[in-house]
Amino acid sequence: MIKVRKPGLQTTVQDNGRNGYYELGMPPSGAMDKYSFHSANLLVGNDENAAVLEATYIGPELEFQEDLLIAITGGELQPKINGNPVDLWQAVSVKEGDILTFDFIKQGARIYIAFSGGIEVPEKMGSKSTYTLCGIGGLEGRALKEGDVLHTGEMKISDVKIGASIPEELRPTFSKHNEIRVVMGLCSYRLTEESKERFLSIDWTVTPDANRVGYRFKGEALDFIPREQPFGAGGNPSNVTDLGYPIGSIQVPAGIEPIALLHDAVTGGGYATVATIISSDLNKMGQIKSNEKVRFVSVTLDEAIQARKEVGEKIEKIKEILK
Amino acid sequence: MSIKKEISSPVPGVFYRRPSPEEDLYCNEGDTVKAGDTIGLVEVMKNFYEIKAEDDGVVETFNVKTDELVDAGQAVAILTLK
Amino acid sequence: MEEKAVSSVRYEHGGDEFVFVELSEAMTLEAMFKGMAITNKLKEKNLPGIIDVCPGNASYMIRVDPEVLHPNDLIVVLKELEHSVTDYKSLPIASRLVDVPVLFEDPWTHEALMRFRNNHQDPEATDLEYSAKVNGYQTGEELIKAITTYPFLVSMIGFVPGLPFSFQLTSQEKQIEVPKYVRPRTFTPERAFGFGGAFAVIYPVDGAGGYQLYGRAPAPILDVEQELADFKDSMVFPRQGDILRYRNVTREEYDAVREEVKNGTFQYRMKEMSFTPGEVMADPLAFADKVMGRLYND
Repeated sequence: MIKVRKPGLQTTVQDNGRNGYYELGMPPSGAMDKYSFHSANLLVGNDENAAVLEATYIGPELEFQEDLLIAITGGELQPKINGNPVDLWQAVSVKEGDILTFDFIKQGARIYIAFSGGIEVPEKMGSKSTYTLCGIGGLEGRALKEGDVLHTGEMKISDVKIGASIPEELRPTFSKHNEIRVVMGLCSYRLTEESKERFLSIDWTVTPDANRVGYRFKGEALDFIPREQPFGAGGNPSNVTDLGYPIGSIQVPAGIEPIALLHDAVTGGGYATVATIISSDLNKMGQIKSNEKVRFVSVTLDEAIQARKEVGEKIEKIKEILK
Repeated sequence: MSIKKEISSPVPGVFYRRPSPEEDLYCNEGDTVKAGDTIGLVEVMKNFYEIKAEDDGVVETFNVKTDELVDAGQAVAILTLK
Repeated sequence: MEEKAVSSVRYEHGGDEFVFVELSEAMTLEAMFKGMAITNKLKEKNLPGIIDVCPGNASYMIRVDPEVLHPNDLIVVLKELEHSVTDYKSLPIASRLVDVPVLFEDPWTHEALMRFRNNHQDPEATDLEYSAKVNGYQTGEELIKAITTYPFLVSMIGFVPGLPFSFQLTSQEKQIEVPKYVRPRTFTPERAFGFGGAFAVIYPVDGAGGYQLYGRAPAPILDVEQELADFKDSMVFPRQGDILRYRNVTREEYDAVREEVKNGTFQYRMKEMSFTPGEVMADPLAFADKVMGRLYND
């Protein structure tokens, strides 16, 4: 049993996500940085998709009421057990009565706390991930609050040595200036050539309106090609007949500020989407903070699939190391 | 000799010195505050995070104005400890 | 021989996991029914690597694991399907006709829309008054009558879980079309009845939204606890191909339905019906009359 003494800013239970229900308008939810999420589970011997805690900017304060193996991965948020610093990206043993706290975040935006056995909460549509808009998954469909109690489950599948860690070269690095790879397309034909070029050549600043639903960026206005709007689309040139939005797709309502739709986002609507963040770079996106810079870089589909394979290969390497 | 200490925001976001636009400032420069007193708010991800003094002291200066953006770890005020 | 028009269908990649197919830029029954036929046939194929098949209004979207099914290989399959569904007009659709009570000009959406007048094209009017005006109606009452006279076909589910985009079964000249808010609202009450572009919707949950607001439904379209009988199989009630008739109800009836929902006894008035796209497209008004008769008289 784990007692939540302080919840942090927005700490939720997440797993690999509620996949396969997009047709119903159900976004997948799930960990924003899947690489750190899988790593945390592997470090405690869990199935890589077991439920963990995802905390943004501020870590929770937890009291352990059983002996456990835990691991914390993701952004640089120094964890402490009973006030003593412990390493990130490492299997750490905690004893009954130990208290986990965190310092201020230095780099990155989100951390993942895995407990051996995984967090046990009821599954909804095949997933334990919290989706707060509908109040489903996780702990009563909401973020943690003070006094909550977490139970561990049966998702441990192997033994990992205490102190085992993921080597430096397999950990992500962070920067205040980020390149995020996108595949251009969808409705990008609606942007003027000049705006398409500007979209890919300026540094966009992440606004404070950046969460699991999406990230809003400030930069400059983009122009849509004027046209007589097709029937059903609505009046603004950035409007289209309501359509599906891919996860990671970027829209620019009224040409004002681009919004990247992430794991808890709306699944469709009436704005032209102009590009999609490639799946491997969604991990990186989830570690970018408000006020940091993003440059969108256009890649081909095959480059995107190659990048995705490389993430998978890194996870296989981690499994090999922890064997 | 007086010891000065920074009060930092643990989160990035928009800084406010009032609980809401209609209300008074949490405190003015020169005011005495106690450990745990709220001196400002940072809005991020549609949450409001209270920035609190960690010690008793006098608020020397605010480094950030209302509506300005702060980074995670950025000092928003300087406190002279008592 | 008749000359074949070059296909204007656009196949696009949404990153490495999504293929997006736009059948038409404008909303048309033809695009919707074609998309429905293609996505149904794709589902029947049970191709490994497909995670989601999401039919839309005039487009559709597929999510894949690109390491199992390369999106370009999927596009080859989708193009074949596009050319094979020439018979889409005669493929039967198993539909449900549903009576959906709506309290128009209710106090809750009124409060919400008044809060966001500065986000609206016409801050001086209500959403209903504004929409009536831009569609050539003298009063809000006339617009309500136009909305409630003919039923709507559910053309897409999405935005948030369960939200039905629905398209009125009426002649092209009588189609209602309204702009969305200039800047979206940050709040919309749960079960609000809205209109944007050519689509009527019911918002399943509280949240942001940009559609014009006219009323509120007393019955849910999303029930995450799945307590009501209509939600036994799925927390989401509407399905693409369903036909919804929005019925203007009084405050008394609204309150009575709310009571039934709270008691767990509410069930939608509903009839099953099979139809073909050809039947609808040939004469939408005659089909709409048939639907109304079947729903209320049989």
